[in-house]
Amino acid sequence: MLWRLALRNIWRNKRRTALTVSAMVVSSSLLILSLGIFSGMLSDMLASATEQYYGHLVVSVTGYQDDRDFFDNFSPDPALLERIASTSGVRGISPRLRAFGLVSHGQRSDPAEILGVEPASERQVTRLQEKIVAGSYLPDDPEKGALLGRGLAERLGVNPGDELVFVTQAADGSIGNDLFTLRGIFATGDSRHDNGLVLVGLSALQRLTVLPDRVHELAASLEDPMTAGATAAQLNGQLPEGLEATDWGQLLPEMQEAIAASDVSRLIIVTILYFATGLGILNTFFMSVMERTREFGILMALGMRPWRVRAMVLLETLAMGGVSLALGISLGLALSLYMATVGIDLSESITPITYAGGTIAPRLRVVMEPANFIVPSLLLLVVCLLAGFLPANRAAGLDPVAAIRED
Amino acid sequence: MEFLRLAWKNLWRNRRRTLITLAAISLSVMLTQASHNLSFGVYAQMIDSGVRAGSGHLTVYRGDYARSRKEELSFDPGTLVEEIAAIDGVARVLPRVYLPALAQSSRESRGVLVTGVDPPAETGINPFLKKIVAGEMIGSSDGRDALLGSRLLKELKISVGSKFVVTLQGPDGDLLSELLRVRGSVETGIKDLDGSLVMVGRQRAAAMAGIPGRVHELAVILQGRAEEERVRPLLEALLPPGGEVRVLSWEEAMPNLANAIKLDYASQRVIFIIIMLIVTIGVVNTLLMSVMERIREFGVILALGATPGRLRRMVLAEALVLGLVAMTLGTLLGAALTWYLVEYGIDLRSLISESLEFGGVVFDPVMRAAWDLTYMVRIALYVLALSLLASLYPARKAARIAPAEAMRHV
Amino acid sequence: MPSSCSTSLSFFVAAILLTGIPCTAQSVQALELRELIRHVEQQYHGSSSHARTEMRVRTEHWQRSLEMEAWSLERDRFLVRILAPPKERGVATLKVDKEVWNYLPRVDRVIKVPPSMMGGAWMGSHITNDDLVKASHVDEDYTFTLLKESPEHYLIECLPKVNAAVVWGKIVYEILKPLLVPGTVTYYDEGMIPVREILFADVRTTGGRTLPMRMTVRPLDKPGEETVLQYQEINFDVPLTASFFSLRTLKER
Repeated sequence: MLWRLALRNIWRNKRRTALTVSAMVVSSSLLILSLGIFSGMLSDMLASATEQYYGHLVVSVTGYQDDRDFFDNFSPDPALLERIASTSGVRGISPRLRAFGLVSHGQRSDPAEILGVEPASERQVTRLQEKIVAGSYLPDDPEKGALLGRGLAERLGVNPGDELVFVTQAADGSIGNDLFTLRGIFATGDSRHDNGLVLVGLSALQRLTVLPDRVHELAASLEDPMTAGATAAQLNGQLPEGLEATDWGQLLPEMQEAIAASDVSRLIIVTILYFATGLGILNTFFMSVMERTREFGILMALGMRPWRVRAMVLLETLAMGGVSLALGISLGLALSLYMATVGIDLSESITPITYAGGTIAPRLRVVMEPANFIVPSLLLLVVCLLAGFLPANRAAGLDPVAAIRED
Repeated sequence: MEFLRLAWKNLWRNRRRTLITLAAISLSVMLTQASHNLSFGVYAQMIDSGVRAGSGHLTVYRGDYARSRKEELSFDPGTLVEEIAAIDGVARVLPRVYLPALAQSSRESRGVLVTGVDPPAETGINPFLKKIVAGEMIGSSDGRDALLGSRLLKELKISVGSKFVVTLQGPDGDLLSELLRVRGSVETGIKDLDGSLVMVGRQRAAAMAGIPGRVHELAVILQGRAEEERVRPLLEALLPPGGEVRVLSWEEAMPNLANAIKLDYASQRVIFIIIMLIVTIGVVNTLLMSVMERIREFGVILALGATPGRLRRMVLAEALVLGLVAMTLGTLLGAALTWYLVEYGIDLRSLISESLEFGGVVFDPVMRAAWDLTYMVRIALYVLALSLLASLYPARKAARIAPAEAMRHV
Repeated sequence: MPSSCSTSLSFFVAAILLTGIPCTAQSVQALELRELIRHVEQQYHGSSSHARTEMRVRTEHWQRSLEMEAWSLERDRFLVRILAPPKERGVATLKVDKEVWNYLPRVDRVIKVPPSMMGGAWMGSHITNDDLVKASHVDEDYTFTLLKESPEHYLIECLPKVNAAVVWGKIVYEILKPLLVPGTVTYYDEGMIPVREILFADVRTTGGRTLPMRMTVRPLDKPGEETVLQYQEINFDVPLTASFFSLRTLKER
C-alpha cells in the first residue's frame, strides 16, 4: 500500500521526478567516469614502471637487486619455474640474464646493459614489443638478433639489419665477444633505457658470458600489480635457500612514493568530486521533498500517521535513487567503456614522460575497477536517502496545521 | 533597481529554499576555485624547483647541446655572465660544465658525471643542495674540493676528506686525470644522481677537461616566470651573431618536465570540466526546481494583473540576485580556503618520505596553493551566467502560464 | 666492473713491457733515493723488447692461464697477443700513449677502450685497463724517504705529492741489494691500510740482464686472489719501429 502510494507520488509529479533523476544520473555517471580516469592514470603510471622493464616481481639471488653483481646468478630448475608459474595471480614468468658491456659498430662503441630474454616469455611480462619504432621485436628463436634503444642506435648510427659487436667480461675471465644482428629499435621515452639497453636472446647471452643455463632473475607479471607485495611474501616462504622474491615496490621505491603522492592529490580531487556530486544530489532531493511539507500536512490532517509519512518518503527517495543510480551506472559504464577503448590521445602535443623510473604514454584513458562503481553508488544512495528523510522527518514532526500553513 | 529589490524580497520569502540553493552554488564555487588554485600552486612549485635544479627559466647553449649532450659543444662565455646578470628581472646566472668521467678511489671505480659550477651562485638556488648529509658545500670555483652523491661516496668506499682521482677524455681523445677531495656528500633523492654526481668548481672542471674558461650551459634564473617573455629578447641581443650560441626556454631545454606538467594539466582539465558539469547540473536543477515549484505562485501574480513580461523579468532578476550572492559568497569561501592552502598547504610528509620525483626533478613535499585570480573571476562569472541561463527556460515558461490552470497546480 | 684495482701499477705494467737497461753495479750509497726508484723503474723501460710470458689468474670466480707474446717500444707503446688457450688465441691489446685498443679475432673487430671501461679488468686479471694507460710516473708523482737500510735491502716510502693524481696514500718499495731489483711493493690507501701488494721473485739473467722473472699481484681485500706473471723468454733491443704499433699489426694473427 505504501509502495503504491510512493510510486504514484513519483508518477504524479513527472517534472520534479525528471529533474531529480536527471541530476542524479548525470552527476553519478560523471563521477564514475572521473574515478575511472584516475584509475587509468594510476595504472598507466604503474604499468610504465613495471611493464616496460622490471616486471611486477622478480626472483633472484638474495641481494642481487641491490648491486646487480654479475656472479649472483643461478640455475632455475623446471620445478621452481613450475611452482612460480602456478602461484595464484601470476600471469607470466620470464627468465633473464644481464650483463654490462660495450656495444660497438664501426668505429663507435658505447657502454650498455645487455639483457638476455626468451622472447615468448618476456612478452608476457613486459611490453617492449609495443614500443618498436623500426624493424621488429625478437622472434621466438632470436638466435643472434638484438633490439636496441633508439638513442643508442642513433649514436651508433645503426639500422635494422646492421651488424653489432657485443663485448663483455665473461664469467671465466675471458673477453666475451660476438656478432649480433640488429632486428629492431625501441623507443620507450625513458632516456636510460633508450640510451643504454639492449635485448638479445637468453641462450645467445649465456654463450657470450659463458654462463650456460644460468639466469640472474625470473621476472613475473601478475594479474593485479597491487598484490605484488603479498605474492612476493608468499613466494619467499617457498623459495629454495639463497633466492628471494622482490616486488616492484621494493625495486622502485620512487615509484611507490610517486603513487603515494598522486594518491594524495587524487584523494583531494576525488573528495571534491564526491562533494560536488553529493551536494548537487542532496540539494535536488532535499528541495523536492521540502516543497511538499504542505502536502504532508494535509496527509497527516487526513489521518496518516507520521511514521507512515516518513516511510512513504523514504520509499519514494529509495525508488527514485535506485532507478537513477541504475541509469547513472549504465551511463557511467558507457562513458567509461568509450574512454577505455578510445581514450584521449595527447601524443601530438606531449612526448612520453619519465616518472620515477617509468614512462607514461601521453594519453588519458579509463581503467574499470569495481570499486569505482560500488563506492559512489552506495554513497550516493545514502546521500539521497538522507536528503529525502531529513525534511520528511521534520514535516512528520510538525503539527499538521503548521505544516499546511507553510509555504 | 526596484526590480532587484523586489527579487531580493521574493528570494527571502522562502528562506529555506534560497539558503539551500545558495549553499549548493557557493560551495561548488569554493571547491572549484580552491582546488584549481591548489594545482596551480603545485605546478608553479614544480616549475620553480624544476628550473632551479635543471637549466633555469632560460638557458644558453651552443648548438644542439640540450639534446645531444656532446661535450665538444662548449663555448667561451666571455663577459656574458655579468651582462646577463645585469638585465632587469634576472635573479641569477649559473654557468655550468658537464663532463662524463671515471672516478677512482684506492678500492673502487665508477662512471660519474662531473658537474662544474660556481659554488656561491648555486647555493640557495639549486634544490639538489638542500640535503647535504655529510661535510659541506664546496667553496671555490677552482679548488679541488668536490661534492659527491651519497650513494657514489658509499660505492667508492671513501668518506668526507678522502681523495679520489677523476679520469676523462680531453678534446683530442687523450685521457686526463685529476686529483679531487671529498668536501661533502649530498642526497638528492634521485637514485641515478646520487650514484653519479660529482660537483666541483667550474674553473677546475673546465681546466681538467682541457677547455679552460669554457662552459656547456648558462642557466638563467629569473625573478619570476612572467619575466621570461620580456627578458628573452634582451638576452638574445647579448649573444654573438651567427646563432651558434642560442637561448632556449625551460620548456625547450627540459621537455620532460614541461611534458610531465602538461600531461598532469591535461588530466586535471578533464576532471575540472567534469566538476564544472556536475556543478552546472546542480545549479540548473536547483534553479529549475525552485521556479517550477512556484508555478502556482506565478499564476496568482498573473491573476493579480502582472504582465507576462514583468513576470519573466522578475524570474530573471531573482536568478541574477541569487547568482550574484552565491558568486560573492562562494568566492569569499574559495578565497578563504585558498588562503589556508597558500599559508599552510597540505603536508605530504606524513604519507611519503621526503623525496618526491616528477619528470626528473625532486619536489617539496608540502603542496601549496597559489592565487590564480583570473581563474577565480572566470569561475565566478561562469556561475553567474549559469544562473541566468538556468532561469531562462523557467522564466519563459512562467510568462506563458494560464493563470487559472496554474493556480490549480499543486 | 668485477675488478677494482686501480691506477699506476707501474711495475706490473712495466713487467709486461719488460724492456730494460742493464743493471750496473753502482755504489748504492751514491744514489739519491729518487734516482734509485727511477733506476728500478727503468729496468723495465728502455728502447725495445720482445717477450713470451705466462699469466695465471686466480679469483673468487675463475682461474685462468694465458700464454702471451708481447712487444714494447719506449714506455708509451706496447702490443700483447694471446697465444693460448686456443679459445682466446689472437686476442690482442695495443697501447699507444694514453689510448688502448683490443682486437677480437672471433668477430674480427678492433674496439677502442672508452673512458667508462677504463676501470675494467684487463684480460680478466687484477690489472685494469687504466693501469695500462697510466704506467709509471712514480718518480714524478712522489717524494721519497728511506725507512730502513739493511745489508739485504732498502725500504723506501713514497708519499704522493700534494696534488698528484694518484689514489694511493703511500707506496712502500722493498729493493733488494746488491742487484737493485724490487722485492715487494705495497700500496696503501689514505688510511694507510695496505690495499695491494706486488711480489717479485725468480731473479734470473736472461738476454744479458738480471731481473725478477715472476711477479705476483695480490689484492689484499680479496684473500686468495692473485695474478702471477711468469716470463719464459725475453729479448731486449729488438729492431722495432713506432709504425709496428699500429692497428694493422694488432689485427695480424
